[in-house]
Amino acid sequence: MSDATGSAPEEPRRDESDGLLDTHSPRKIVAWATVGGLAVLLAAGALFPDSLAGTLSDVITSRNTLASALRLSVPIAFAALGGIFAEKSGVINIGLEGLLIISAFTAVYVTDVTGGVWLGFGGGIIASTLLAALFAVVTIRFRADQIIAGLAVWLIALGLAPFASQVIYGGPNTSTVPTIGAISVPVLSEIPFFGALFSASPSVYLLFLAVALSWYVFERTSFGRWIRASGENPKALDTAGVNVAHVRYAAVLLSGVLSGMGGAALSLDLGQFTGNGPTMVNGKGFIAIVAYLFGNYNPIGAFLSTMLFAGLDAIQTALQLQGIGVPRQLIRITPFVIVIVILALVGRTRTPEAAGEYYESGEE
Amino acid sequence: MATAVHLDGITKRFPGVVANDDVDLAVERGTVHALLGENGAGKTTLMNVLYGLYEPTSGRVLVDEEVRSFDSPRDAIDAGVGMIHQHFMLVDPMTVTENITLGNEPRKWGGLAVDRAAAREAVVELSDRYGFDVDPDARVEDISVGEQQRVEILKALYRGADVLILDEPTAVLTPQEVEELFGVLEELTAQGKTIIFITHKLGEAMRAADDITVLRDGRNVGSVKADETTREDLAELMVGREVLLDVDRPPAETGDVVASVSNVVVDDDRGVRAVDDVSFDVRAGEVFGIAGVDGNGQSELVEALTGLRRPQHGRIEFLGDDVTADSRRQRIEEGMAYIPEDRQERGLVMDFDLTENALLGSQHSKEFGPNGRIDWPATRTHAEAIIDEYDVRPPDADAISESLSGGNQQKFIVGREFERDPELVVASHPTRGVDVGSIEFIHERLLELRQQGVAVLLVSSKLEEVQGLSDRLGVIYEGEFIDVVDPDETTEEELGLLMAGEHPDEDDADASTDATESGSAEAATGGDRP
Repeated sequence: MSDATGSAPEEPRRDESDGLLDTHSPRKIVAWATVGGLAVLLAAGALFPDSLAGTLSDVITSRNTLASALRLSVPIAFAALGGIFAEKSGVINIGLEGLLIISAFTAVYVTDVTGGVWLGFGGGIIASTLLAALFAVVTIRFRADQIIAGLAVWLIALGLAPFASQVIYGGPNTSTVPTIGAISVPVLSEIPFFGALFSASPSVYLLFLAVALSWYVFERTSFGRWIRASGENPKALDTAGVNVAHVRYAAVLLSGVLSGMGGAALSLDLGQFTGNGPTMVNGKGFIAIVAYLFGNYNPIGAFLSTMLFAGLDAIQTALQLQGIGVPRQLIRITPFVIVIVILALVGRTRTPEAAGEYYESGEE
Repeated sequence: MATAVHLDGITKRFPGVVANDDVDLAVERGTVHALLGENGAGKTTLMNVLYGLYEPTSGRVLVDEEVRSFDSPRDAIDAGVGMIHQHFMLVDPMTVTENITLGNEPRKWGGLAVDRAAAREAVVELSDRYGFDVDPDARVEDISVGEQQRVEILKALYRGADVLILDEPTAVLTPQEVEELFGVLEELTAQGKTIIFITHKLGEAMRAADDITVLRDGRNVGSVKADETTREDLAELMVGREVLLDVDRPPAETGDVVASVSNVVVDDDRGVRAVDDVSFDVRAGEVFGIAGVDGNGQSELVEALTGLRRPQHGRIEFLGDDVTADSRRQRIEEGMAYIPEDRQERGLVMDFDLTENALLGSQHSKEFGPNGRIDWPATRTHAEAIIDEYDVRPPDADAISESLSGGNQQKFIVGREFERDPELVVASHPTRGVDVGSIEFIHERLLELRQQGVAVLLVSSKLEEVQGLSDRLGVIYEGEFIDVVDPDETTEEELGLLMAGEHPDEDDADASTDATESGSAEAATGGDRP
């Protein structure tokens, strides 16, 4: 981006307004309010260590909180990245939850059979991609309604994974398998608080890479532009000589690959797939949709909003353990309440113009 | 001069229709060639054949005197033929540069990145070469329609087009933008590009084209040089008979005041004042015209009168009653018919058939909806009567509105509104985007109503239309009536000045018809003042 001479002053402005920090945007207000609120809280906590503020700031500044927030955000952020690719291309993929479930189970199963954690990780990706491929074919080729097909993906996975577990392991939960070990970067992992960033599971590093690469694809490559055009005005892309169906297939398959990484990382982090009720995925695929909407379809924005939700969840868990005199059930719902408030404040997200619409080339 | 495009005996049949019947067309390199014809004459079909969207049933396409067969627009583009559609094929949130290079991005790093500097460079160079004024970094959604059109043209040029087909390029442009477009076309032909432009407007074909080919019912009925023909000749070729461009209007026999608008103030959607203290009366048996350049408050004024928008101040009386607070439904029932300016948005439900559309506005009436149940057979009979009486084609009450041409859609709306037996007809741009034959038809019907003693409020930006049909003419500028004049006593030039906001004289601001002559004379001299 440094080689642009005349365009250099223009470009950064454009990138900013694409993302989180558009001037006047409610997102910016929320971001600043979060920072400001944190600062006030931390100051209060430092002054009155024994108060509620003190407990809260202890929890927030704890390295464990950051570590568990990162761990929580991995499946959500991967699925959100996948959702961005699909929806930007014009295919709304609300089956992310299903993709996470199927990959979470398959990753454990393949690890169990082969004994290789990374083989299991790959197996999870393949399972999720295959299910995404099915979704792509019915929506792109057979013009099925995207929302209904997406729900079907979720329901198929929700039924299939526990059933397979029942057949293979005799119960909804699989047996335990080896987990992916954490990798600590020497020196950097010693830093207080932020050290958690450098002493994490490889899946966290993989996520950082995926976020950066996704951003690069959208902002800098032809393929990224075609995805955007395909979701905004597929006819423009078609008349420019690019096959819209091919672009959409690629985008939906990518959403399968990314969600697969998320699902596999989720179960291999624990070494087990638990299939009771909503399974161990437990709505993370749906939170991912909220995350990328809140992040305005920007990979970095989606990651940051995922971190916000995951951070709130981590704080909530820690507070439950601390016991601050508020009923647990109330503490447990705080992240969701905050998410709803934030979404209400942010208001409308600009969705791609042609998202959800079937496109047939040559229609006049 | 060499022939850039030669269509030789093109016939294109669709099931049940012959869209093009043995059409020959030769376009010289470096010229502007207008393809003129009424809606449904087969102009766009012919160009879609040239652009590779349709395969001709028979006939040959020659580009640069070489026979070509295009399976897709891609092939046509590769052969140097580009088409700018009526509806732009642009991605709104993307920048001008991104749109122009879409699908053909210059790349670097072995294709891993778009070479944005090179892309911008190419766009700047192209727009400089043809004297286009576009900002390569602006987002398409932020620029005007005229600029968007230039982006479309640049897109075709970027892909190496030598022949540019423009489908109704002026339909969406303001008069100034139309002039700019014609300037662009001149520049392009000066540099050897060939332009084919599709239009149904005589004046534009005469103004911009070197050669004109007229299509009628899918046939080439004549190719002429623009400077060797007249408007009347072209109009006759288009419709196949003598057209009375001047309307024959018997003197008005006016009756009581039907509608009275006093001191009305209306804000637009953004809360900006659109109509500022306007008053006028419309009497039975007269056509009161409102002339003005689009966007000077006409739409808001009409919406206030018809009950679609609540005025901020003022009073609207209809048949002697204050109807300012009445709903749209009440006003329909009291006898106010309305031909909306946007027929596809407000006049019809596009995916309804004509029977269903015939019901719109009458859904509460006892005739079609007794006891809350719709009487479909009666509605259908009504629709068929409209179709028959107003010559709507195809004559099929089950036809989906969308499948009709613009002119036929409009005739159907006109019929539906007139058949309400109204006391007042509010006709907003009743002939916009309508072919010559239908224009004439609609004008005749409006005058017939007037003869029957109906009050007519006519809003139009077409000067000849308001001038030809109106008995009195209010000129609106920036939400205010500049003057009310007698159209027969006022020249086009004087009206043009009024429409541009040149106030004749403060004393004559409220002048009615008798003060016109002196007022307009003042306006003519007033134009010289700084």
